[in-house]
Amino acid sequence: MNLQPGEELPDLIKHPTTRQLAQYAGAQGDFYEIHYDQDFARGVGLPGVILHGLLKAAFLGQLVTDWLGERGTLKSFEVSYRGVDVPGKPYRCRGRVSSVTGLHAELEIWGEDPDGNRTTVGTAVVEMAVGLRPTL
Amino acid sequence: MSATSSVVDRLRAHIGTPGPPISAVVEAGHLKRFTEAIGDSYPRWLTEAPPTFLVALAPVSAHLPEAEEYGQGWLNGGNRFEYLEPVKVGDTITAIGKVVDVYEKTGASGSLLFIIFETEYFNGHGRLVARLRGTAIRR
Repeated sequence: MNLQPGEELPDLIKHPTTRQLAQYAGAQGDFYEIHYDQDFARGVGLPGVILHGLLKAAFLGQLVTDWLGERGTLKSFEVSYRGVDVPGKPYRCRGRVSSVTGLHAELEIWGEDPDGNRTTVGTAVVEMAVGLRPTL
Repeated sequence: MSATSSVVDRLRAHIGTPGPPISAVVEAGHLKRFTEAIGDSYPRWLTEAPPTFLVALAPVSAHLPEAEEYGQGWLNGGNRFEYLEPVKVGDTITAIGKVVDVYEKTGASGSLLFIIFETEYFNGHGRLVARLRGTAIRR
């Protein structure tokens, strides 16, 4: 396999629901009410319950590891949450290879709401397994 | 001195001081609940932690009651994950977190308070397995 800058990762489209937010709150142990209590969320100026930033990070982590499979390892990734996302709307995770140096590749990753707003943006670094280097 | 600037000063006093270590075992049942919650059925995650699982074992951010005197709610501004070794079922992980920065920003829509946390996760052999960063915002 041969990574090239510009290569796009297959999109990962998630369909978060309020049920998933409650499930994630329990699994992570983050019981901040803005993720499951509509009145509380509106009371602090939000449009209603919103996705956990870390749930969106989990989606983007999956985007990378689904694409990478057993070909390599995720070394690091970082994300900034630029906007809020609400359940009931598809969340589209996207990415592309921005640079390749030896066994390492840097990726640009982001999550989009249905209007195409990049509400989460970030980067990831992967290290490809040595045995999988392209042979000439 | 305004009330908000004194909150910032009190929070800044925490910078660099590690919190108490938090230890937890990576349990197969917890991994399963977590991967179901995020909707990631990749088979490797039956025995190994997926990229963001460590936040469920021990949070990146500490509870700082005085921060709640500022603004009306929390937002997560961002996260960074750095991996040194895989984390597997049965591992005992110890997390040690600290505040690395606190600052206030004033924009058109008002003031925001930023608290940057960094948490290091160690395995049972005392080796650093991951380093996580979180930006918590009060608004």
